[in-house]
Amino acid sequence: MHDVKPAPQHRSIEPVRVTAYSCVSACGEGSQALADHLVHNRSALGRLTLLDLPFDTPVGECRGTLPAVRPDLIAYQCRNARLALAALNNEQDGLRGAVEAARQRFGPARIGVIIGTSTSGLLETEAAYQMLLKEGKMPADFHFLTRHAYQATARFLQNELGLAGPCYAISTACSSSAKALAAGQRLIHNGVCDAVLAGGADSLCRLTLRGFNALELISDQRCKPMDRNRNGINIGEAAALLLLERDGSTEPFRRERNGTDSGCPKGRRQGWRRSNPLLLAGGESSDAHHMSHPHPQGKGAQEAMEMALRQCGLTPESIDYINMHATATRLNDAIEAKAVEALFGDSVPCSATKGITGHTLGAAGALEAIISLLALKGQWIPGTCGLEAPDPAFGCRIAAQPQNDQRLNTVMSNVFGFGGNNISLIFSLGDG
Amino acid sequence: MNEKSDSISLPLATIAIIGQPPSALTILATGLCCRTPEILEPFDVKASLPDKSLLPAAMRRRTGLTTRLAVTAATHACQHAGLEPRTMPSVFASVGGEIQVTDSLCRNLADPDGIISPTQFHNSVHNTTVGYWTILHRCHGPSTAIAALDDTFAMGLLEAWNQVQLSCGPLLLVCYDEEWPQYLAPPTGKAALACAFIVAGSNHSGPKITQPRIQQGSGVGEPERTDSRFLFPDSRLETLAKEAPAAAALPLLQAMSGKISCSNIPLNNAGTRWQTDLRFD
Repeated sequence: MHDVKPAPQHRSIEPVRVTAYSCVSACGEGSQALADHLVHNRSALGRLTLLDLPFDTPVGECRGTLPAVRPDLIAYQCRNARLALAALNNEQDGLRGAVEAARQRFGPARIGVIIGTSTSGLLETEAAYQMLLKEGKMPADFHFLTRHAYQATARFLQNELGLAGPCYAISTACSSSAKALAAGQRLIHNGVCDAVLAGGADSLCRLTLRGFNALELISDQRCKPMDRNRNGINIGEAAALLLLERDGSTEPFRRERNGTDSGCPKGRRQGWRRSNPLLLAGGESSDAHHMSHPHPQGKGAQEAMEMALRQCGLTPESIDYINMHATATRLNDAIEAKAVEALFGDSVPCSATKGITGHTLGAAGALEAIISLLALKGQWIPGTCGLEAPDPAFGCRIAAQPQNDQRLNTVMSNVFGFGGNNISLIFSLGDG
Repeated sequence: MNEKSDSISLPLATIAIIGQPPSALTILATGLCCRTPEILEPFDVKASLPDKSLLPAAMRRRTGLTTRLAVTAATHACQHAGLEPRTMPSVFASVGGEIQVTDSLCRNLADPDGIISPTQFHNSVHNTTVGYWTILHRCHGPSTAIAALDDTFAMGLLEAWNQVQLSCGPLLLVCYDEEWPQYLAPPTGKAALACAFIVAGSNHSGPKITQPRIQQGSGVGEPERTDSRFLFPDSRLETLAKEAPAAAALPLLQAMSGKISCSNIPLNNAGTRWQTDLRFD
C-alpha cells in the first residue's frame, strides 16, 4: 500500500464486489428482461390493473404471476415479499445460488440483509383498513409487523435464505435502496459482514399513487424525463437485489479511461471473482431545505456526487456515464441537471430510465444500480425513453437514444428522495 | 492515491486503512423523551416531556407528535454534548415511524374517492422526522432512517457504529416510537419513548461501547460482571420494551448511569441476540 494517511477523516471505503443481482419490474422477471427493454428503449408502462384509482395514470406494474411465500413463512406473505422472492428465484440471474454459496463460504451470521422500501406491505394494510372501518376489526390474517412494518421484506429474505447477520430496512423514501447498498458496503468494509444482500422492494399501492397525485406530481401520460414538456411522474413497482461480497484483493483497483492500470501493484489484485463489478462508493447528503422540494441550487445533489467521488478517490473525469434520478417532474429534473452540469459540464453522457420502468420509489436506487451494472457489462448507454424535445435550459449531455459500443469503466447512479435525502453511487468494471 | 486525483481541486481524496481493527464508540451524551415519564421510574432513568417549543411555529403546524418526541430527545442530547446539530450526521431508528399519519391516511384511502392531504402524504414517509431535523438545523451531512422491529435500537447502534468507523466525528442516533393505534400490533406502541445518543470515535473521552454483535452460542454470552438491575431478564423492562421499542436502549443507559463497566449488555428485548460491552476509562 502506498500513501497511507492515518488521519481518520481521510479514510476512504474499500470497494465491494457485486457477485450476483436480479430484479423484477414492469419489464418482467430477471435482469435480462430489463436489459431487453433498455437496449430497445422500450417502455413497460401501461394501465393499472392491481387496484382502482379515481384518476388515470400509466404505471409500471409487474404483470407476471408472483411466487407464493412458503407455508412456514406465511406471516410474511404480501406483494412486497413476493416481488422480492421472484427476484431471488430467477434462475438465469442465479442470485439464490450465489447467496447460498456465500452462506456456505462465510457462515450465516456473517451475511447481512439490508432492504430499502418506502411503503413495504402497505397494499395489504390498505385492504385491511377497509374491513376495519366496515366491521370494526382487522382481518384475522392481518400481520402488521411481518407484512406492513418496514423491516418485513428484509426479515422475510433473511428467513427464506437461512441467514443470521445484521438485518434491517432503510426507509428514506426514493433513496432507500441506494442507501441500503451504501450501508452494505460499510458493513463489509468494517468487517462486520463478509457479504450483504442489499437492495429494495416497493409495491404499487393507493397511498403512493394518490399521495403523489395530491402533490400534483403524477402525469396522466407516459412520463418525459428531461423533456421541455415533462409534467410529472409515473409510479412503478419493483424488487431489485444485489449480493455484495468482500473483495478478494486488498486494494481499490482503478483503470483509467485510456485503458492503463493505475496505482495498484499487480500482486495485490490476485483476488477471486475479479471479473465481477465493484461498488466503489456511496456519497450521502441532506438538502436541509424542504420535505418535498429539492434545494433550489441542487446543493445536496452536488454534495452527494462530490462525496461519492471523494470516497473512492476519483475525479469527475473518471465517470463515463451517469444514470440520473430524473423523475420527470418540472423541478427535480431541472435541479439535477443543474447539479450534474456544475460538476461534469457536458462531458459525461447521462440518461434517465424511469420512462421504461416507472419510478419504483424505494426500489429505484437498487433497480438503477442494476441498470448501471447492465450498462457496464454490455458497454452501452441506456436512452431516455419518453424524451422528445430536450429542455434547452439543461447543459448536461443527455442521451435520448441508447448508444452501443461505448467504453465504460466507471459509472454513477443518482438517487434523490423526499426529505432532501440524496445519494450517489459509483460502480466500476471488474478487473479480470 | 493515483496521480490523477492528486491534481484536482476537489476536497481531499482518500485512502482506506486496511486491516485496522474496529474501534469502540464513545458515548458523548444522551437524551430521553417520554410522554408518560412515570413509566421509567422503576429503571432509574429520567426523561423529559415532549417540548413543542423546540420547533418553530411554522414547522410545528406541519409536523406530528412523533417529530416532537424525537426532536426533544435529540435536542437534549446535543445540548448535553455541547455540539451544534448542524455538524452531525444522523441515524433515526424507529419501528413504525409516522404511524399515526399512516393510520389517518389509510382511513382516508378506504374511501375510493377520499382526498389525501399532500402534506400528510409527505409526512407519512419513514424519514419524515429526520427530514425535519435536517431542515430545522440545516444539517447537510448524511442522514438516514432505519427500522428493524425488536432489533431497531441494536441496528441503529450498528449503523451508527459503521458510520463513525469511517467519519470518526460525532453522530446523532435517535431511537423512537410514538403511541400506535392498538389494533395494529398490540402491545407495540402502547407508550411513546425516544432515546437519543451522541456517539463519536474512540479518541474522545467518555464511556465506550464495542461494536454491537450477535451473541454466538450459549456460554459465550455470559456476563463478566453484571448487575441484574439493567439486564433484560427484568420482566418489567421486557414488558416496557414490547410496548415502547426504544426502551431497548434502557439497559445501556442504566449501565452508564451506574458507571459500571460490563459485558454483554442486551440491545433488544429478546435479551439474547444483539449485545455490546460498556467500558469506562
